[in-house]
Amino acid sequence: MNKWFRTGKPWIWLTAGAVSVSLIAVIGLVIMIGWRGLSFFWPSAIHEMDVLQADGSTKHIIGEVYDTETVPTTRLPQSMIDLAQIESETVTRYLMKIGNREYVPLDFTWVLESLVSEDTTPADLAVIERSKDGNFYGRITALTENGEVIARQGDADFRELMYQRVERAVELNLQAMGLQEGEISSINYQLNELELERRRLQLDDQLTEQAIADLQAQREQLNADYQVYEKELFELREQAQRDALLVKDFRGEEVKVPMYRVLDVNFPNDMGFFAKLAHFFQQLGKFVSEDPREANTEGGVFPAIFGTVFMVLLMSVIVTPFGVVAAVYLHEYAGKNSITKLIRIAVINLAGVPSIVYGVFGLGFFVYMVGGSLDQIFYPEALPNPTFGTPGVLWSAVTLAILTLPVVIVSTEEGLARIPSTLREGSLALGATKWETIWRIIIPMASPAIMTGLILAVARAAGEVAPLMLVGVVKSAPMLPVDGNFPYFHLDRKFMHLGFHIYDVGFQSPNVEAARPLVYATSFLLITVIVGLNLTAIGVRNHLREKYRSLEH
Amino acid sequence: MISVNPTTTNAEKLDLANLAPEQTALSIKNLDLFYGEDQALYDISMHVPKNRVTAFIGPSGCGKSTLLRCINRMNDLVEICKVKGDIELHGKNIYDKDVDVAALRRRIGMVFQRPNPFPKSIYENVVYGLRLQGVKDRRVLDEAVETSLRGAALWDEVKDRLNASAFSLSGGQQQRLVIARSIAIEPEILLLDEPTSALDPISTLTIEELITDLKKKFTVVIVTHNMQQAARVSDQTAFLYMGKLIEYADTDTLFTTPSEKQTEDYITGRYG
Repeated sequence: MNKWFRTGKPWIWLTAGAVSVSLIAVIGLVIMIGWRGLSFFWPSAIHEMDVLQADGSTKHIIGEVYDTETVPTTRLPQSMIDLAQIESETVTRYLMKIGNREYVPLDFTWVLESLVSEDTTPADLAVIERSKDGNFYGRITALTENGEVIARQGDADFRELMYQRVERAVELNLQAMGLQEGEISSINYQLNELELERRRLQLDDQLTEQAIADLQAQREQLNADYQVYEKELFELREQAQRDALLVKDFRGEEVKVPMYRVLDVNFPNDMGFFAKLAHFFQQLGKFVSEDPREANTEGGVFPAIFGTVFMVLLMSVIVTPFGVVAAVYLHEYAGKNSITKLIRIAVINLAGVPSIVYGVFGLGFFVYMVGGSLDQIFYPEALPNPTFGTPGVLWSAVTLAILTLPVVIVSTEEGLARIPSTLREGSLALGATKWETIWRIIIPMASPAIMTGLILAVARAAGEVAPLMLVGVVKSAPMLPVDGNFPYFHLDRKFMHLGFHIYDVGFQSPNVEAARPLVYATSFLLITVIVGLNLTAIGVRNHLREKYRSLEH
Repeated sequence: MISVNPTTTNAEKLDLANLAPEQTALSIKNLDLFYGEDQALYDISMHVPKNRVTAFIGPSGCGKSTLLRCINRMNDLVEICKVKGDIELHGKNIYDKDVDVAALRRRIGMVFQRPNPFPKSIYENVVYGLRLQGVKDRRVLDEAVETSLRGAALWDEVKDRLNASAFSLSGGQQQRLVIARSIAIEPEILLLDEPTSALDPISTLTIEELITDLKKKFTVVIVTHNMQQAARVSDQTAFLYMGKLIEYADTDTLFTTPSEKQTEDYITGRYG
């Protein structure tokens, strides 16, 4: 045994074991989150169940099995144990998503396996995805136009006709939305600008009769335009309201589901593997490209992806020059004395400050002090409404830039230290000043190290949520920070963030059960986004490394 | 005794102690140098003649490289280094306060022990100094590249791949590239700090031949720990020992009939 220890083999096992554990942890995490998140998009079967009730009657339910759980019998009420005549110690129960939110108190319900008297998955059960009130489960019986039935279930081309009508409604809704978010929002923006212009002139004492008349004319023009678009919008909406579906729900009652709320109709029990696969990718595509609905519990997360990426890029643009300049001063110009050492230690320790502290600092300094002053100076016409004196994407990026500054400084300094002094001398000997040497030789050669710093900074910043809650993140932002209205980048706007979205959906949602798969899916997406950003940066770094390969032969 | 290459030393022998101003490239006068408390150079005085190759020899740590680096003020980079005395270039002390160091280094180029090409293309390496001076005209740059690379005997080897990375060259080629880079800005004096110590014998030979060519246009000062090399390439040689200039004479004289005992001991291999 002693001999075995002396061979050094246990040491190898120990180190290899440590690596394996880390690897398993990382892979396990990704697989778990990926599996839970992605399986949400796979169409699951719709069950029709008869469930025995306490009063001896049976209840008919239609829905998806969301989760299966084994619970100890002791946790159930005695009446239910008696009813189900359970003798074993544990019992299986299902979490059913039954949808039809307007007809039931809760769209999720627990069902005890032993109380289910009948469980089938008929092919004609439909899931109707709606823009409001979540999914509707039932049997589609007829299609109506202006209240008249035009086709019934069982007609030869019923589904085809129905899909045509669904598509028409979706198309009309899209047009209406485009109008609302495009032209109408642009007019609102311009009207707002006009009001600000009036106020600005008033503050400057230049609000002459002429100016008032001008503004009034412009306003009337915009209002006239607005009337036209509004009429168009109402027309589109009216057209979309023409059709409806008649659906027999779990109670056996025929319910009218207006078509303008329908986003999609599916028959998961009637799908083959490839149809399911197609549906999976379609759902996944919707998730990353659509806006959230219903307090973030439905729909996609596009604004959150956009907000995360935009904020991180903005932060990179801010932190890189600052960090590099600071590192260059510390390493190239500052005297090699104890004060420099002290500053360096302080910088490194900045990285250890809890991020929420940066959030508080950002709120107090950037938002209130800097932003407030900017408003006083540049946007007095909007006061008392703040422009930059309120949390927004710019302040979030700046706060995170401060948070990640030490990382960039430290790795840039390391990069600077690695550059052989012969290169500096070579440049100086050709008559370059120190500044020219730094700019032309040193910084390009240190660029892979700068990229390393940036990679670490991005990894840290993209995962930070706590400080953002104070300086600009919101659960639902009506507008993206980039749009078609001049000046296109609106850095004062609040934004959505995947990390905060996870928190909001998981903990602040009114419908926790509905939100859980979304939490996994969003987490997986956040990881994907961070990995994507990092891979891009690593690609750039490897390219630079190849270019500035060091002098060793 | 070391044989002296007759082709390089057949030039007329100069009176090194009383050199005429028009023959002088550089005069070092009573130069003392300190690293903090330690004195590294003691009262060095010498004239470096124009368009000739002057070699500094001596054992490791004798101060020959330090002396060379004083000539283009490379020692300024060492914070604790203090210089006393004068180095005069055209009668002007280069250590005067009003001297522009960058401009001085454009006039006194330097090549280092290890090849240090920049991580750029061959072309960009050569024009680096010119670009610093703000030269943008492509024709001027192209011309300078060809002239300099020819001057450094590298043109034929690289003319087809001027845009290749300088790191793709061999060590000897890299060193010649560095020489080409230095002569592209047409300095008056070229300082070579053991330019062949990191190279193989064949590359060394190429560079030595090059040095002999270079003196037609430039004044060359070379530091070497290799006495044969000094004998082969230089016109006059200075022997330094323990920070003092022991003897400074024609290469011929110094290697055949040294006047100092220490010089003789060194060149006959008794120490160093």
